[in-house]
Amino acid sequence: MVFEKVVEILRNYKEEPELEVTMESSFEELELDSLDTVELVMEIEESFDTSIEMDSELKTIGDVVGLIEKAIA
Amino acid sequence: MIKTPLCDLLNIEFPILQGGMAWVSDAQLAAAVSNAGGLGIISSMNADENWLRQEIHKVKSLTDKPFGINVMLMNPHVDKIAQVLIEEKVPVITTGAGNPGKFIKLWIAAGIKVIPVVPSTGLARFAERAGATAVIAEGGESGGHVGDMATLPLVPQVCDAVSIPVIAAGGIGDGRGIAAALMLGAVGVQLGTRFLVADETNIHENYKDKIIKAKDIDTVLTGKSLGHPVRALKTSFTRSFLKAENDPSTPKETLEEYGRGALRIAAQEGDSQNGCFMAGQISGLIKEKQSAKNIILTLVKETETALKGGLQWVK
Ligand SMILES: Cc1cc2nc3c(=O)[nH]c(=O)nc-3n(C[C@H](O)[C@H](O)[C@H](O)COP(=O)(O)O)c2cc1C
Repeated sequence: MVFEKVVEILRNYKEEPELEVTMESSFEELELDSLDTVELVMEIEESFDTSIEMDSELKTIGDVVGLIEKAIA
Repeated sequence: MIKTPLCDLLNIEFPILQGGMAWVSDAQLAAAVSNAGGLGIISSMNADENWLRQEIHKVKSLTDKPFGINVMLMNPHVDKIAQVLIEEKVPVITTGAGNPGKFIKLWIAAGIKVIPVVPSTGLARFAERAGATAVIAEGGESGGHVGDMATLPLVPQVCDAVSIPVIAAGGIGDGRGIAAALMLGAVGVQLGTRFLVADETNIHENYKDKIIKAKDIDTVLTGKSLGHPVRALKTSFTRSFLKAENDPSTPKETLEEYGRGALRIAAQEGDSQNGCFMAGQISGLIKEKQSAKNIILTLVKETETALKGGLQWVK
């Protein structure tokens, strides 16, 4: 559930509706730099109405999904 | 007289901050700026907690006015540094190079004012949400490690994105620049390059002479390919660095190694073969070495003139 929504936000953010994303996709592979990552994570947080620790090592989509799942559990 | 809400917020006379500068801004410069009515900021770069404690004691012995400490979040000693800042009850912390999220609440709870340097509206909003007191929106015209956005477009967009006070930095060297920043919505400014030539700045005289001699086109960006671009004066060091950087066969690690320590060599030894003289695009405007006090007083006077002059265009 969380993963699907994160993928949707990500595809919107990059304006690439067909973008291939897995839990293992890293921000680097997705061509998102650190500033993009901040923007994106904030959008994700807002849409789940929660917040996560952004300084913990966020490298992959799976990292974000995991933290969101924990935050809303 | 130039007064903005930042003066009350930080308990300073003029809304002018002297940016933290690694290997450049120590207790002596920070105290001189604070005594002149601005906010002096000590750079803690990659130093450890013992060095920092000494500098804090020194600045406290030199001024009763508020001062700030700049924290580089990549510093390996950052956790211990964060603690010392609380123990010493420093008035203001600015942060650079990294994400301050984890520390902001801790410092704010200790009664410290926390002002992150931000290169984008996203990070500004993030800092506001994490509880920051204000943000410094720094454009890529500035000296040192820089972001992509230029000050003129960045500052008004950050002002619109957050409701905490915004301080403008990058490319400001005189009262015209300060007046412009205030017109963009900032309530204060942070200057780095201009203070490189202050009498109280402990750097090699060659560094100051190079700033005085520099013209508008004399700075260059290096290290873009490493993901952390640095603006510095063009010297034989930056020329050979860029040559290596543009050669695809140069390993990234070699480049990183090349740049490491180069600012220290510039600041302490004044050596343009091996030193990296970080400085902003405003270097060309700076023509005179002055005391920190005279720099501040000149800036304030010029700002008044510029702001009053602006009304001539309102018909
Ligand atoms: C030599 C030098 C070293 C700097 N070191 C730091 C630093 O350690 N931490 C930081 O946050 N900013 C650093 N800066 C940025 C300044 O604090 C300030 O924001 C910047 O110089 C403002 O732009 P200006 O140079 O156009 O005035 C440095 C700038 C210079 C010129």
